[in-house]
Amino acid sequence: MKTNTHFAFFDEGSKKEIRRAIMKAVAIPGYQVPFASREMPIARGWGTGGLQITLSIIGKSDVLKVIDQGADESVNAVSIKKLVHETTGVELTEQTAEASIIQSRHRIPEVPLTKDQIIVLQVPMPEPLRKVEAREYMTKRMHSEDDYSGVWLMLFEQIMKYGKTATSADHPVYVNDRYVMAPSPIPRFDNGKMHQTDALILLGAGREKKIYAVPPYTNVESLAFEDYPFTVESFEGQQCLLCGSTDVFLDELIDKESGKTIYQCNDTSYCMDQLNKKEEAEVQTSYA
Amino acid sequence: MAIDLVHDLQQVYRKVLHSMSRPGTISSLSDLAERVDMNLPCYDATVLSAMTFLDAEVTFHILSEDKKDLIEKISEYTAAKFAPINEADFVIVLREDSEMAIKSAIQKCKNGTLIDPQLSSTWIVESTPLNNTGECLLSGPGIQYTSQVNTSFNASMWLERNERTKEYPLGLDLIFTDANAQIVCIPRTTSVSMTEVR
Repeated sequence: MKTNTHFAFFDEGSKKEIRRAIMKAVAIPGYQVPFASREMPIARGWGTGGLQITLSIIGKSDVLKVIDQGADESVNAVSIKKLVHETTGVELTEQTAEASIIQSRHRIPEVPLTKDQIIVLQVPMPEPLRKVEAREYMTKRMHSEDDYSGVWLMLFEQIMKYGKTATSADHPVYVNDRYVMAPSPIPRFDNGKMHQTDALILLGAGREKKIYAVPPYTNVESLAFEDYPFTVESFEGQQCLLCGSTDVFLDELIDKESGKTIYQCNDTSYCMDQLNKKEEAEVQTSYA
Repeated sequence: MAIDLVHDLQQVYRKVLHSMSRPGTISSLSDLAERVDMNLPCYDATVLSAMTFLDAEVTFHILSEDKKDLIEKISEYTAAKFAPINEADFVIVLREDSEMAIKSAIQKCKNGTLIDPQLSSTWIVESTPLNNTGECLLSGPGIQYTSQVNTSFNASMWLERNERTKEYPLGLDLIFTDANAQIVCIPRTTSVSMTEVR
């Protein structure tokens, strides 16, 4: 049996509560606002935080893009897209520039975001201090006291152990020079895209019941030491084997036949765009 | 035609969200305001903002003491409860409220705690027509360089507001509405300075 759901799945009361939490999150950049995370038709830990934000802000005229680790067509992205589309009827897109709301798991698209866009990031672990302190009240107190020595120590220990900060993703950031925030597990490559961006960034953690935000034109600084500056993943000398892009985040793959390491764009829609542009150019020249 | 509680309020929310994330940016609710048919003694944009944010889980306060009727109506429409100024989650300031009353309310309203800064009040303030001129200079998150805004708040009211937001993350978030159904937001992160004093 198929139930006839309300617009955007949620009842209006739920939307209001989440909308109010988002409002506070915007007013206190980087601060994790607690909210009454709802039971969703997908499992917790599969993007329910992001989904709840998307459903609370979306309207009939919105155009939605959902990506999962850069891909528009992976299971998580497709299921979320289907759920939102079936309950709202909004238009879906894979083109970053066409979307008004972009829900993303672990990537910020390569195409720069604009002031009319909102990016919603799914967050598994919103608390950057959780590794240092298990008790919620204590971490809240540390945030209130601007006491981030635990995070600094964690980075320092990584340097001692590995000779560099070894955060592969989710490298902690200082937001508006006040709150240390988990940027969600985006690669370090994407941290810079949060700094002084044109778009509004909303982050939702469904399982941990937290919503936080980075408004546009806000300082977002990755934590680093003077003698160990922040570095992003380097793909020097490598390019995407499909479209040839060089200045993007690349996935490292092993070619099954040759056993060689190959690189490919992580952002699938960006890669497709580049290929289409190339093809268009080729067609035009061959026609002439 | 009455306002649509699902789709119209979603649009109001997105406009307020846009303005709240970009302090000083004026958003217009004029298309939606046409549908407000409640005949309440406040601006359409005020009604729309209240309908968007209030429900049974939050409380509100209205400064004017002789507005029993309006308080009742807002409670009936939104199911939110009236509360004294020091407890209210939302504070609604009407056009006719005096400077003295507003300043005293700013001093008494909730501005959160260091551990829970979100337990602060959000203000819906009826203002003279909003525009991006004037002596009020804004900077902070959401503003690329600087921004200017002209509201009904004068220098001494801003001073009072600045006093309550001094100990960031404590503070209050303001939503200004005007007769032309425009809104502009000034969250606690915005630094407001006066270039000249009237």
